[in-house]
Amino acid sequence: MLDLHKKIESATDAIRQRWNDTPQAGLILGTGLGSLAEQIESPVAIDYEDIPHFPSSTATSHRGRLVCGLLNGVPIVAMEGRFHQYEGYSLKEITLPVRVMKALGAELMIVTQATGGMNPLYEAGDLMIVDDHINLMGANPLVGINDDRLGVRFPDMSAPYTPELIQAGLEIARRENFVAHRGVMVAITGPNLETRAEYRFLRMIGADVVGMSTVPEVIVAVHSGLRVFGVAVISDMCLPDALQPADIEEIIATANSAEPKLRSLVLGILTQESTK
Amino acid sequence: MHQLTQQLKTSTAALKRRWATPPQAAIILGSGLGGLADAMVVEQTIDYAEIPHLPSISVPGHHGKLVCGHIESVPVIAFQGRFHLYEGHTPQQATFSVRLARALGAEALLIFNATGGLNPTYSVGDLMLIEDQINFMFANPLVGINDESLGPRFPDMSRPFDSELNEIAVEVARREKFGLHRGVYTSMLGPTYETRAEYRMLRRLGGDAVGMSTVPEVLVARHARMRVLAVSIITNVGLPDALCETTGHAVLEVAAAATEKLTKIMHGVIAGLAP
Repeated sequence: MLDLHKKIESATDAIRQRWNDTPQAGLILGTGLGSLAEQIESPVAIDYEDIPHFPSSTATSHRGRLVCGLLNGVPIVAMEGRFHQYEGYSLKEITLPVRVMKALGAELMIVTQATGGMNPLYEAGDLMIVDDHINLMGANPLVGINDDRLGVRFPDMSAPYTPELIQAGLEIARRENFVAHRGVMVAITGPNLETRAEYRFLRMIGADVVGMSTVPEVIVAVHSGLRVFGVAVISDMCLPDALQPADIEEIIATANSAEPKLRSLVLGILTQESTK
Repeated sequence: MHQLTQQLKTSTAALKRRWATPPQAAIILGSGLGGLADAMVVEQTIDYAEIPHLPSISVPGHHGKLVCGHIESVPVIAFQGRFHLYEGHTPQQATFSVRLARALGAEALLIFNATGGLNPTYSVGDLMLIEDQINFMFANPLVGINDESLGPRFPDMSRPFDSELNEIAVEVARREKFGLHRGVYTSMLGPTYETRAEYRMLRRLGGDAVGMSTVPEVLVARHARMRVLAVSIITNVGLPDALCETTGHAVLEVAAAATEKLTKIMHGVIAGLAP
């Protein structure tokens, strides 16, 4: 992990040459959720391939650029498109952008993703504010010799998602009158979707939604000392006793339709954090 | 795994030049437990750096020394400081110490570690005899072409921990009047501590304690047909409904305080190995 420090520096330098503001927050926009980036004012978009050591985004509906600018007047950097373990990247590569957010000066990470809902009380199109997670990816981005400049050897995980931001998110949903659940996300490697037996297993171990990302980024954010707000969009329901074949087009369409609610949450949290 | 036999030859040759006695047992001392080696009649101390093919240590609380000597007149070696997968070692590298102990002649392996308690009836500072384990590390040190000279392709795991040695440990605790739980150890990759959701999952799966080591060592020891005894110190209790922050330093303090009880178990079990 000791070579990581240099990689962070060169990536950060490359971004600063194009955009020299200090972001208050870093945003990660998941599958079908990239259009939030269109709201960014005076945007400077930097392709991932122009940022040293950034992998390139190969997943469907992920664009692959970092958009820097103002969202509701708050300076932010937004990842339009993210990296996944199933693309063949190591968790260290996937999470480099989080390190870079921190190095640029961000104090908060907002992470969104499309997930499969397993809790039968959820519905497709609902949002879930992530309260906690289970890492079932079989890997951890912090494996290796620890670089004490970046964080501690054994990060505590008793509250990876900042509790007051969870409350703030629920409050925004109540005020704006839309459904936001609070639940547990489990991360698996993918890329295949789960079997019925796997959905039953994941539900049994305590998860409400399942996805193929976010957990590595959150682990690194906690290691870096960032505050974290996570939102999962329920893009389809995965009920093992009535399981339909997954339709990726439909999943992306559902994720897109949830966007106005997601936007309220993200903008609400950003505004609140910037006036703190 | 054939390369392993070559490496073992070099390492055992180097070690035998420093301490010629074949050990009857090997002891692995985890976080904050290095002090257990003070209970030995020490005849030789060797830095890990001087042992070919043994990885180096990168964790606070782990010394990185092989202590050779006797306990209750039984020749033993103690690994003061262990290797973890979260340090970036492969499962094979992390268990090289166990292979080495076996190659030197050790027939039993005693493991002492610091763990988080999951069972709500446990308290900080309690000891737990490991009755069984769940491998949740997504890794197994036996993956690869099997070297039959080291052990069988499909090692049985119906009883990884030696029941006779367990009975001795229980007897010691009874005689010395301290509590000794018997429970299931689950191993996670780390280095992050568990989330509340992960604690709940592990408890539901049948775990009484959770840690970031031991399981790979036990797998290799059983593959090598060694008798295994393992005791955990509960250094924090991970109750997801009232979870407090866990720090590495607090873990080390509790571990040091339990040393006396562990020393008694160690003496009793080693004495039980004497012919």
